[in-house]
Amino acid sequence: MDSVADSDANHSISLEQNLSFSDTLVALQMMRAQFPQIDKVAIQPFILQSQLYSSVKDRTQVDRELESLRRDKVVRIFKLNTGQDDHGIMFLDDYLKQVEHVVKRMEEKKQGDLEVFKWFKVHVIESKLEPSIGHQELYALLSLGGRVKDEHVSLLINAGLLTRQLIDPNMYWFAIPNIGSILKGLSQGRKELLSLLNRRRYKEMMLAPLEKKRLRLSPLDMRFHLRDLIGSGHIKTGHTPTVLNIRLMEEPRTIVMQSCDVAINAG
Amino acid sequence: MWKEIGDREMGKIRPNSFSSQIKSNRISNLQLSNNKDIVSPHRGSVNSLQVDLTEGRYLLSGASDASAAVYDVQRATDYEGNGLIAKHKCLFSVDKQHEKGHKYAISSTIWYPVDTGLFVTGSYDHYVKVWDTNTTQVVMSFKMPGKVYRTAMSPLATSHMLIAAGTEDVQVRLCDIASGAFAHTLSGHRDGVMTVEWSTSSEWVLITGGCDGAIRFWDIRRAGCFLVLDQSQSQLGRRPPVLARSAANKVNVSKSLSAGQNSLGKQRAPQKKVSNGHGMKQSTIGRMPTNGSVRQRLHPGMLSIQDRATAHYGAVTGLKVTDDGMYLLSAGSDSRIKLWDLESGYNTLVNFEVVRLQTSKAIQLAISQDSAQVFVPCMTVVKAFDVWSGKMSLTFRGHYESVNCCWFSSQDQELYTGGNDRQILVWSPCQLITDDTDAGRTKDEDNWSD
Repeated sequence: MDSVADSDANHSISLEQNLSFSDTLVALQMMRAQFPQIDKVAIQPFILQSQLYSSVKDRTQVDRELESLRRDKVVRIFKLNTGQDDHGIMFLDDYLKQVEHVVKRMEEKKQGDLEVFKWFKVHVIESKLEPSIGHQELYALLSLGGRVKDEHVSLLINAGLLTRQLIDPNMYWFAIPNIGSILKGLSQGRKELLSLLNRRRYKEMMLAPLEKKRLRLSPLDMRFHLRDLIGSGHIKTGHTPTVLNIRLMEEPRTIVMQSCDVAINAG
Repeated sequence: MWKEIGDREMGKIRPNSFSSQIKSNRISNLQLSNNKDIVSPHRGSVNSLQVDLTEGRYLLSGASDASAAVYDVQRATDYEGNGLIAKHKCLFSVDKQHEKGHKYAISSTIWYPVDTGLFVTGSYDHYVKVWDTNTTQVVMSFKMPGKVYRTAMSPLATSHMLIAAGTEDVQVRLCDIASGAFAHTLSGHRDGVMTVEWSTSSEWVLITGGCDGAIRFWDIRRAGCFLVLDQSQSQLGRRPPVLARSAANKVNVSKSLSAGQNSLGKQRAPQKKVSNGHGMKQSTIGRMPTNGSVRQRLHPGMLSIQDRATAHYGAVTGLKVTDDGMYLLSAGSDSRIKLWDLESGYNTLVNFEVVRLQTSKAIQLAISQDSAQVFVPCMTVVKAFDVWSGKMSLTFRGHYESVNCCWFSSQDQELYTGGNDRQILVWSPCQLITDDTDAGRTKDEDNWSD
């Protein structure tokens, strides 16, 4: 059912018609439906926060609606390690499905006592809604299920549910399991798309042919990357008299004349 | 405009709203000034700008070549271009050649808030110096343990004359001009302190932002900080709705209680109280091993050291309190600007569309008097944002390299910006250049050159 809807969404609606939405929840659901199929890795759809910024006009409204969706436990927000302040958003049901998948795979490998995953799901995910958790709090919440040992936390890290980032050695960050290769593809795809635009003489390209290209290094499709880069301000869209085109954003080095195109993100 | 004056005359508009309407009109017309120019003698990037708070007449600037200069922005030193362009040269400048001048870059220059007789400079050569303006001599000099990033004095202070200095050392030091010694030090940050600001509502409250991403509020009469801003605690709107806030407060109170119980409950045996300062640092480092090992008892005021909440994912590079003391704007090296409600301590989730901010140096933000616009240096341009909605309203493009500091003078609605290209630019509401001077010339001349 899902795949049929996916393929329909992929073919019939081009990015040009689908660039902006009225509401954050509508945007999230549409982008979830348009998430590309990736063959080698089993992963549930996720959305980047920069994609939301490119889709809904008012960024403050996006932030606030996202905050209330997070508090109502509809979505979960994860801090990704692909760059400055990158956040990934996943619907809670999809996240729980992903966790189940990973737990089943670990059960098959018989890698040790797996009750910690149940404690994690019941106690930690339900009550801790922020993207990070301190060490003491993690222990306290897991102990509500049973006696916690250091090996349990190592199991969680091995499964990819928790990670540590360079910012604070005492803090664990929630992570989407199995997402590593996709994040690598994400940063490489970003670089490839930016260099594609950079090589052109006027650093711009029409949207329709750009969308048809396939990125060599990234499993995610062009539309995903375009939304992400528009939202983070690296590229912007401009209107020519007939169609939409994409232009690479660059900080001007000297004072230049303002172009007269309609630009969504100005210098 | 004439309609507004007529309404004011008839009493339809109140005087305050009349003046604020005119001021905001002028602010929306800001552009590179076509009749005022500041001639900067600096040979290094301009790091700090401030117009004095008493008269609004003298502009003080500090640069990376260890020079500081003062300009009079209301009276020009000479005129050019048929009297149309006012040139403001510096009234005096102190630099490395001065016998007691700074040796390395000056990162922060501020006026003594009470009058323009003194000014304070902080520099990367680890010194904070107090200068007498009329004789341009160093009156007092304080040695810091590291490079000084920012100094600040409270504009409201009536009972103290403390200079707060943020350095690359983790402790914030308060220097007293009256006695010439250090008053006390504030510890709690885990990395250097890049920005320091005094609160505009209380003379005892100091706000510091560190390279560890935390923003801490200190009441200098007590030990420890009383508030650490946490970016994950947010409220949806300028003021939280009454019911939602009490629910959120209950959640936070229960969380902090449980955290407090965990830390105190895991004590094995009563330990003697550790004195503040050096001993405290050792105990926090010793607490890193995770298995609930023996903890030292903390002085209740120092419990804030355990609070590791961060306000930004990188270093905090700029802070600005609104004039009414109710909101705080903070800029971080993660290229985000956040608006905090100071009464509740929450992030108001206003999104300012910033693509990139300078990460290695502190930037100076400026805010208009009615707190409606905030001016932010973003790389080579200065952008004005609407504070409540986060939308960008104006862009000031004029510098050739990154802009470091800006100051908004609310008296004449002028913006002064200084950057790495050693220039200080003036942005003022556009003024019509009248043809009075041309009318005096003979009218029979035509525009052909000979």
